[in-house]
Amino acid sequence: MHIRNEIRASAQLVLWTFAWVASLALAKFGPQFLWDPSRQAASWTAVALNVAAGACWIIAFTRFLRALDELQRKIMLEALAITLGVGWVTGLAYVVADTAGLVARDVDVAALPAFTGVVFVVAFAVGKIRYR
Amino acid sequence: MKNRITELRAERRWTQADLAQRAEVSRQTINAVETGKFDPSLPLAFRLARLFEMTIEEIFIDEQ
Repeated sequence: MHIRNEIRASAQLVLWTFAWVASLALAKFGPQFLWDPSRQAASWTAVALNVAAGACWIIAFTRFLRALDELQRKIMLEALAITLGVGWVTGLAYVVADTAGLVARDVDVAALPAFTGVVFVVAFAVGKIRYR
Repeated sequence: MKNRITELRAERRWTQADLAQRAEVSRQTINAVETGKFDPSLPLAFRLARLFEMTIEEIFIDEQ
C-alpha cells in the first residue's frame, strides 16, 4: 500500500514536471515560433498555463513528500534546505558583488536553477549515503 | 537511541526487507534505525512494537 502510494505520487510528480517544462517552453518560444509576438492574448494564455502547471507541480511535489517514508522525507527535506540556503547565500553574494562592481561578467539568470539543481542532487546523494 | 530490532528480527528470521514491508517503510529506514543513525517517529515505533508484539520500552533503550 505504502509503496503503491509512493509510486503513484512519483508518477504524478514526473507528469507535472514534464507539463511544467513543456508549458515553460511554450511560453518562452511560442511568441517567436508559434504565434506573432503582437498577439499578446496568446502570450498571456501561455504564461497563465505555465503558472497553472507550476502550481500543480508544487501540489504534486507536496503529495510526493507526504507519500515518502519518514527517513526518505528527512533526507529530501535536508537536501531542499541545503539547496535553498546555498541558493540564497550564493544569489545574494552575487548581487552584492555585482553592485560593488566586482563581477566582470553578467551571469544568465537561468544559471541559478541549474546551479541549485546540482546542489540538490549532491545534497540528496550525501543524505542517501549518510543514512545508508 | 539503542534498540533490539536486529536481534528481534533475527529471532523471527525476517530480513530487513521483510520488516520494512510489514512496517510500510523502506529497507533503508529499517537499516538506519537498526544502526542507530535514525530515530523513528512515535507512529513507526508503535508499528514496530505491534509487529514484534512488545512494548516500545522493550524494543528501544533510552541512553540518557
